[in-house]
Amino acid sequence: MFSRGDEKALVVWFSITYQTDIGAEANINSTFNEMGVKLKFAYLDNTEPDGKGKYVLFTEIKEENQIDAINKKLNSIQGVTEIDSGVSRNRMIQTIDFPLNFLGERAVIARSKTFVNILKIIRENVIQPDGLLLLSGLKGGRGAAKYVMSIIKVDKSNFMDILRELFLASGWGKLEMDFDRFTCNGKVIVRDSFIADAYGSSDLPVCGYMSGFIAGYMTEIMGYTFQVREVSCKSTGNTVCEHIVSPVPDDVKLEHIMKEEMR
Amino acid sequence: MIKQPNVILGNDKILVTMGKKGEIFGFFYPRRDYAQHVEESLACLQIDNRLIWTNNHEWYSTQHYLEDTNIVITELIHGTGIKLNIQDFAHQTAPVMVRKYTISTERDINGTFFYYSNLCVGEMHKKNSAFCDSDVRLLAQYWQDNYIGIIATPSFEQWQVGKAMDTIWWTNARYDMEDGRLHNNKEDIGYLNTVVGWELKLKAGQSREIVIFIGAAPKRTQLYKMMLEIVHEPVANMLENSRQHWINRLSRKNIVKLSFLDDMPETKQQIIEAFNRCLLTLDLLNDPKHGSFVAAPEFDHDFEMCGGYGYCWNRDVAEVAIALLNAGYPEYCEKFFDWCRRTQLSDGSWFQRYWLDGNTAPSWGNFDNSTQIDETGATLHAIYIFYKSLKGLEKAEFLENMWITVLTGAEYLMKRTIYGLHDSCLDLWESYAGSFAYTSAAIFAGLKGAASLAKAYSEPGLASRWLERAEFVKNTTIEKMWLEEGYFAKCLADGKLDYTVDASIIGTFTPFNMLSPDDPKERKMIYSMIDYIVNRLSVKVNGYHGIKRYENDRYIEGNPWIVTTLWLSKAMLTLADSLRKEHDNEKDISKLLQSSLNYIKWALKGTTSTGMLPEQVDKHKGHPAWAIPLGWSCALMIDNILLLETFSEEKGNERI
Repeated sequence: MFSRGDEKALVVWFSITYQTDIGAEANINSTFNEMGVKLKFAYLDNTEPDGKGKYVLFTEIKEENQIDAINKKLNSIQGVTEIDSGVSRNRMIQTIDFPLNFLGERAVIARSKTFVNILKIIRENVIQPDGLLLLSGLKGGRGAAKYVMSIIKVDKSNFMDILRELFLASGWGKLEMDFDRFTCNGKVIVRDSFIADAYGSSDLPVCGYMSGFIAGYMTEIMGYTFQVREVSCKSTGNTVCEHIVSPVPDDVKLEHIMKEEMR
Repeated sequence: MIKQPNVILGNDKILVTMGKKGEIFGFFYPRRDYAQHVEESLACLQIDNRLIWTNNHEWYSTQHYLEDTNIVITELIHGTGIKLNIQDFAHQTAPVMVRKYTISTERDINGTFFYYSNLCVGEMHKKNSAFCDSDVRLLAQYWQDNYIGIIATPSFEQWQVGKAMDTIWWTNARYDMEDGRLHNNKEDIGYLNTVVGWELKLKAGQSREIVIFIGAAPKRTQLYKMMLEIVHEPVANMLENSRQHWINRLSRKNIVKLSFLDDMPETKQQIIEAFNRCLLTLDLLNDPKHGSFVAAPEFDHDFEMCGGYGYCWNRDVAEVAIALLNAGYPEYCEKFFDWCRRTQLSDGSWFQRYWLDGNTAPSWGNFDNSTQIDETGATLHAIYIFYKSLKGLEKAEFLENMWITVLTGAEYLMKRTIYGLHDSCLDLWESYAGSFAYTSAAIFAGLKGAASLAKAYSEPGLASRWLERAEFVKNTTIEKMWLEEGYFAKCLADGKLDYTVDASIIGTFTPFNMLSPDDPKERKMIYSMIDYIVNRLSVKVNGYHGIKRYENDRYIEGNPWIVTTLWLSKAMLTLADSLRKEHDNEKDISKLLQSSLNYIKWALKGTTSTGMLPEQVDKHKGHPAWAIPLGWSCALMIDNILLLETFSEEKGNERI
């Protein structure tokens, strides 16, 4: 968190663990409202094991002694099991939840530029970088799908919505889909792709990692093999990135079809 | 990618390196240095809707050689009750590796047994081509005149030739395996991976055998002929032939009894096993066609952390060839010196290192000031030792064949030692520039050996000239580099002495005999050097002390080395041997013997589970480290054991 609010105020964080089955989230929010505490940043994670949730938030407070009062009030909420809090002294970056977790795995925060730097070095030095990046994305997409399926029911009706939320939550881009649920053909449009934005201009599409991720996610959830290829990209001058999605046909040398389409 | 093997196998045509779980790391054909055709090659089971790769952490593994052979037994046990026994060996005559898998289970299983390969035939990922001949069930991958084939008994039932790194990911053999059913794509080009599979249905208590043959040939027709013949040979016969081959090979060695270790039967057994293992290992590092040796099977192909080891250094092979000569195998010397004759540079020196066929290898020693003069000295010294071992006509013929080589080599050494101390060049560790005691000693021994050969060749003028220079080199080195503290400086560069203690200074005593234990003053110098090396370079690992190369060594963590440790113990044994000529030295001899035995034990504790001697031992964990197996380490182990044996030849078994 980078605080540019009231210079005199204290940047304070709270990490609240609660039981997910008795409506504690709503009561936590109400409590903050009642006490006039405005949230600067917060996230909610309801996927902690054993029916637990975690609510992490940052706020600004005038006086340090207010923290005790807030903690006391939060403690009285039914279902709240643990509260931790502290003051961010440097008003710059504060990590509360260490190690970070995302989709059931250890996560890190990285700038798009960092990811793209790695991607560019791969492109410059490795044979068949497009394949390598697609395979990397594929692995990520399959892992994400497995995790999602382990915590909620996923089917044809909601899997694309979940993918959209995943992309948004992880800051990858905004998804729009045009997908025929019967033929399983369609396209995925990514607005503000983090790869294309950080990559800059290019002669060829650069979001193959995302194509791989989408292919892996869909293959895992739908139970049959999908090919996904980026046919236009923001880095090549288009307004959005467009990924064509289709099931892999049987007994066809798809390499040739794909390369023909790309041309 | 760096992958350090736990075991090697092969025959006179192929060399294979493998990890602890039987996964192939390297498959070298037609030479031990080139080409390495394998990126990955291993089995995988598809059971309970998941892939269980045989190199994953879920398997508990043990690995050993069948006694006195290069046949490898790997046993893998999985927590779910599945066991794999793998017998790996090279066919007695053909360039074929035989992999006999026995799969047994304590529970019912219903899945697929896969054998997966990611080959880079001809060390190329690009422009490879692979196909599966479904009529004869032979899968082959090729590039130019390198063909690698996989055939099996029983024949594989399904297969996939896939793209290893393409965007059409579903053709990738790794992904194709996941559902247990393969697409049976018959051919493709580019960067490929392949897999063959068998249905695996076993009831609890049942087992199944699958034998996989991996062969190499220069032509498609040869590959077909060879593979289709071999697949019909009974595997038991092949195994027995291979076993007999290695046992016969070992039967020619000079026998070591080590009777003075009768009170320590376990140690004695370990040392005898190490002797045999080193002989078998060196045979696999030798190129039988050209006579050269790789220092170690290559494991750092991209020079990620070092300059690589899969090349021939004269320095290393001079030691290896003489060790093998002393162990009863003179033929290696004969071929290697013929190789030296062909590879000598026009100025009389030898290059830093070579490909096994004699071409100059990638080098950081291309100039006069970056060359390593010791390699020329060591080569001439070894030529003379071999010459001494010959008799009659053979001896005369050898000298006749080698004379020009000796002459030009000695003159090169003369040219580089005009002022006594050699011109600036790189040291034996290939890291420092300047003048070195080790290099001087190698030059001394080279010139002295050449002088003896000149005398035998009726060239007394040259003999006295070279001998005189050898003495000049010795005297100047002692005068300028011997420190009053009692050891040789590591280096003299730009007029400055480097006071670092370096284990290689013991080279002035062994193998180059610049200092003689028969001279009281020089014996004192030898004792003093030994003390300095012990006091300054000992590292306690695995309950004993190993010796690192020099103070503040930073190469690969500055671990203790097998080479420097066994070099020191060899010096101690050589010194002890020389003391036997005199009376009243029993106490000193016993002390030297005990110390050297401890160093040998230390070296044995640092081997892989299969007895491979590495270059180094990890100073923190005690594991074998870096190049595995290292030929020079094996040579020094053989030297040590042969010296130990000389103490068994006499009655005094109570020395230790």
